[in-house]
Amino acid sequence: MADQLISANHAAAMAAAMAGNANRSARGFCAGLYPITPSTECMEYLCVAELSKGQVVRVESEHSAMGVCIGAAAAGARTFTTTSSNGLAYMAENVYVAALMRLPVVMVAANRALGPPWNLWADHGDSLMLRDSGWIQIYCADNQEVFDSVLMAYRIAEDKRILLPVMVCQEGFILSHSMAETNIASQEEVDGYLPTLDLPHRLRDDARTMGGVDTPAVTEAHRAQHHAAMSNFFEVYGEAQDEFERKFGRRPPDLLVPYKLEDAEAVLISMGTISSNVDCIVDEARLRGVKVGSIRVRGYRPFPELQLKELLRGIGRVGVLDRDISLGFGGALWGEARGVAEPGAISQGYILGVGGGDVRPKHIEALLEDLLKRDSATAPIVMETNL
Amino acid sequence: MSESKDRGTFKVPLELRVHGRGGQGGVTLAKLIATLYSRLGLQVQTFGDYGSERAGAPIRAYTRVDDKRITNRNKVYNPDHLIVLDPGLMSPAVLDGVAPGALLLINTTEEGAAVAKRYPSLRVGVIDATSIARKHGIGTASVVIINTTLVGAYARLLELPTEVIADAYEKVGLSGDLGAAEEAYGAVEIFEPTKAPEGASKAGGDYVLGRFPEILPLTEHITERFAPVCTGDWRTQTPHYLFHEAPCNGECPAGNDVVGFIQTLKADGADAAARHLSATQPLPSVCGRVCPAPCMGGCSRRLYDGSVNIRGLERWIGDNGDSPPPKKDENKNPKRIAIIGGGPAGLSAAFEAARAGHSVTIYEAAEGFGGVLRYGIPEYRLPNDILDREIRRIEALGVNFIPATAVDSEKIVALSKENDAVVIAVGLGRLADLGFGDLSGVEQGIAFLRAVKSGERMSLAGEEVAVAGGGNTAVDCARTALRLGAEKVTLLYRRGREEMPAIDDEVSDAVEEGVRLELYSQPVGAKGEGAISALEVAEVELFDYDESGRRRPVVTDRKRVIPCTRLFMALGQSPEEGLLPDGWSVDGDRVINGVESLNVWLAGDISTGAGTVAHAIGDGRRVAALALKGGARKEENPKVSSEGVRADFFEERPPMAEKHLPVTERITSFIEVSEGIAGPEEAERCFSCGTCTACDTCLFSCPEGVISREGESYKIDGEFCKGCGICVAECPRMAMDMSALEAGRQ
Repeated sequence: MADQLISANHAAAMAAAMAGNANRSARGFCAGLYPITPSTECMEYLCVAELSKGQVVRVESEHSAMGVCIGAAAAGARTFTTTSSNGLAYMAENVYVAALMRLPVVMVAANRALGPPWNLWADHGDSLMLRDSGWIQIYCADNQEVFDSVLMAYRIAEDKRILLPVMVCQEGFILSHSMAETNIASQEEVDGYLPTLDLPHRLRDDARTMGGVDTPAVTEAHRAQHHAAMSNFFEVYGEAQDEFERKFGRRPPDLLVPYKLEDAEAVLISMGTISSNVDCIVDEARLRGVKVGSIRVRGYRPFPELQLKELLRGIGRVGVLDRDISLGFGGALWGEARGVAEPGAISQGYILGVGGGDVRPKHIEALLEDLLKRDSATAPIVMETNL
Repeated sequence: MSESKDRGTFKVPLELRVHGRGGQGGVTLAKLIATLYSRLGLQVQTFGDYGSERAGAPIRAYTRVDDKRITNRNKVYNPDHLIVLDPGLMSPAVLDGVAPGALLLINTTEEGAAVAKRYPSLRVGVIDATSIARKHGIGTASVVIINTTLVGAYARLLELPTEVIADAYEKVGLSGDLGAAEEAYGAVEIFEPTKAPEGASKAGGDYVLGRFPEILPLTEHITERFAPVCTGDWRTQTPHYLFHEAPCNGECPAGNDVVGFIQTLKADGADAAARHLSATQPLPSVCGRVCPAPCMGGCSRRLYDGSVNIRGLERWIGDNGDSPPPKKDENKNPKRIAIIGGGPAGLSAAFEAARAGHSVTIYEAAEGFGGVLRYGIPEYRLPNDILDREIRRIEALGVNFIPATAVDSEKIVALSKENDAVVIAVGLGRLADLGFGDLSGVEQGIAFLRAVKSGERMSLAGEEVAVAGGGNTAVDCARTALRLGAEKVTLLYRRGREEMPAIDDEVSDAVEEGVRLELYSQPVGAKGEGAISALEVAEVELFDYDESGRRRPVVTDRKRVIPCTRLFMALGQSPEEGLLPDGWSVDGDRVINGVESLNVWLAGDISTGAGTVAHAIGDGRRVAALALKGGARKEENPKVSSEGVRADFFEERPPMAEKHLPVTERITSFIEVSEGIAGPEEAERCFSCGTCTACDTCLFSCPEGVISREGESYKIDGEFCKGCGICVAECPRMAMDMSALEAGRQ
């Protein structure tokens, strides 16, 4: 293992290539790729990565990029793609196909606002658009987490109790283009962590169709199976963490990352890198005697509802920070969290940093102040970070 | 935040902000600096502030350094270190959040003390990194990349040893830039703060502006219209439309505007193209048949899908363009000019002088005008009626043609007194010889061609003909001999096929017709009693390259004897001696008497020895203009470079071939071999190198959408053009250029 000063895009690509190489004694690796800012550097890195078995297929669109992954995964290969924003929107039809065919594709989404008008910057709205696609979604908060989560994603996706695709989300530029020292595992270590892929329903020499036609009753059964696989995720995730810690000597964060929650009367819930600034303000507020804590949501689908409910027990003020907006409703994370909060708690939504607005500790400080003086929740507040 | 910890002259945690312009390498600078700290064992985080803009846009980049894990992810608002790559960026916004005692490193050509005086509470480093980077050749001539140089200056401010830079650069593969960094390390001027910091807090200092405002829900400002950002202020260079001389134009010895006449043909038809061509070309139909066409050798399509058939187009225009004789210019000061010699140089000089409104008399020793065109080039390549038609156009300008009048030195003296100027363009009269004596059947090729072109049709039936030489005269002799019934025609040339000065197509035609090429062969002796019966031929070896760029031939003693009943010598010509009066001599293209410059000039082969019709035409026109004090008309334009033309913008489309008579018909008659190209469509293949065709590529490729059509050209909105240069890079034909703006302008 060695520390390298690299961007999260490159860390993701390194993890994917090593995961691919770890499958060299089985059906190898295949990445279907199409460039889009801010995920392009991840693609570029993979295009020149040394692959011991398999290949990168550069295609003419994101839709085809996922098509390549679907085909290769159906044939038993370990597969990868990366995209962002409108690219993900264009890919959407096949994103569903990968999930509904129960193919363990891994995708890194560099979160970026959808256009038009065009905006290149961080916003969770793109991956949240596919919240209901049947993919597992994990949101990262630093470079190391991106690398680690890609490796974990393969272990989880390919587990026989799961067999689902996993989307590892990193905020565009804030993570994708930021360089930080990242501990990169060796190929031998990755080989030890990732068993080769043996997809039970993969296409072999027998001719048959995948994804033909379902009658209503069969669809009901398929959805029930899919939903049940999602509920197996929490157990499998825990095992993947344990094994990761054994193999690499560090433990990837839980699906919910609580911070200073003991005796907290108020809590701030967020996803992604905003959480790091939230924790700064929690520290400052605690110094002033304010009983506040925070929770970072790392696993968004399946949603760790029971775990969150447990963490929120007895907390009367819940501020939820969304770097996204479900137009006509409010923050998507707020939508999940407010239903889990203690009955009678004030659950206030704050929408900030959409379209890449730079969320600073001061913004968090302002909204905490707002949360602490409230008598009741109102409609979500759309905040500006520009000035 | 943990307690700050001293490490030389810097403390952690440390935040650094870089201000530069897109394309200067500012984001990479922040990353290089992060690498430097990382190599010192510190934790770092570094990122650019990516915008939608490209080159020239103000950009920011950030680096955070700490001795523990860095968690926060927002941008840097209170930098401890500030690096500014372009002094034009300096503004309150750049200094926002900078507290007294902070470090400012600025790249500028301004004197250090003057810069430091403006920032008395900061520690200031001043370096002209641009000059250093340029000197070390980092980046390109127009875009100098200064980041690797600046790191050197930065390291010095930190009092880090240069080994730290060397280590970091080796790590990131930039060791080649180390020299520039080391130079900057030595050259940076450092100024300590002269005004003590007031208070310990970052905030409240004299440069801290616009602190965090209240955080508000979006309110009324949601409906405000944002003021446009006048991105034109960002540019350091500016695009413009600029004619570049195409390679074909540059190659044309006659000085024809090749691109111009082809594009005119394409846009406005043959008549307009003929008018365009007549600015420089009195003999388009002639040149369109017999020119070796160096223009085609320069053509940008040559290596793509074959040169444009420029000669074929010129012929098509000459034969089909119904242009009246070119208009004679009004001349308030008409002069008298006498031209001696009615070959292409003389005709061109006459054409130029007559068009300029002068009174022209042209003297020719032979009965007919045209020189080698009439008496040298065979009918099957250049029919006389074609030549006659073009000479009539020159006559129509009022030129006085005096045939059958040889001009000797005495007459030259007389003409120089009667005229304002005399141009001697008599060509080359002295013929090289092999020195084989008086055997009959050993003849000069020129004499043979002249006889045949004048109508003689002697039979060579049953003869074994040899031709010595590799130029057009040699090839013409060989092909003419075939047409006169020769049994066997062998062309002996001392170098290889590639080195033959004859037009390549003509050599191919000759071979097709049955001429045998014997290369690396030199006739060294003739055998026979009274008449030649055999030829002794020696093998030639080629050695090193001589001044002409060809390999030097050395005749060996390996010889063979070939049967030969007739030998035509076509070995080149040189000027006749004794043409000028005693005491007169030549200085360049002007005749002098002692130190006195006379009104007598030389033009064409007698002066240049270049030997092609196109050279003669170009030289005749140039000398006539000089002789009449018209001056040179040629403007010096930048040239189209091979990499400036973007062939990938064009579909492949092979050149249009000329239609040739079948060989069986050719060798039994003197009918013109080539019928030329079938139509003007070949003009569509011209890339129009260096000349805008209003193709809209610049307009489509402008990322800012600031190029718009204006009449037949384009307008670039300077208020918003950032000078990114994409239009110039995308122009398929190099009809645009970038020029630098002075630093500090706007």
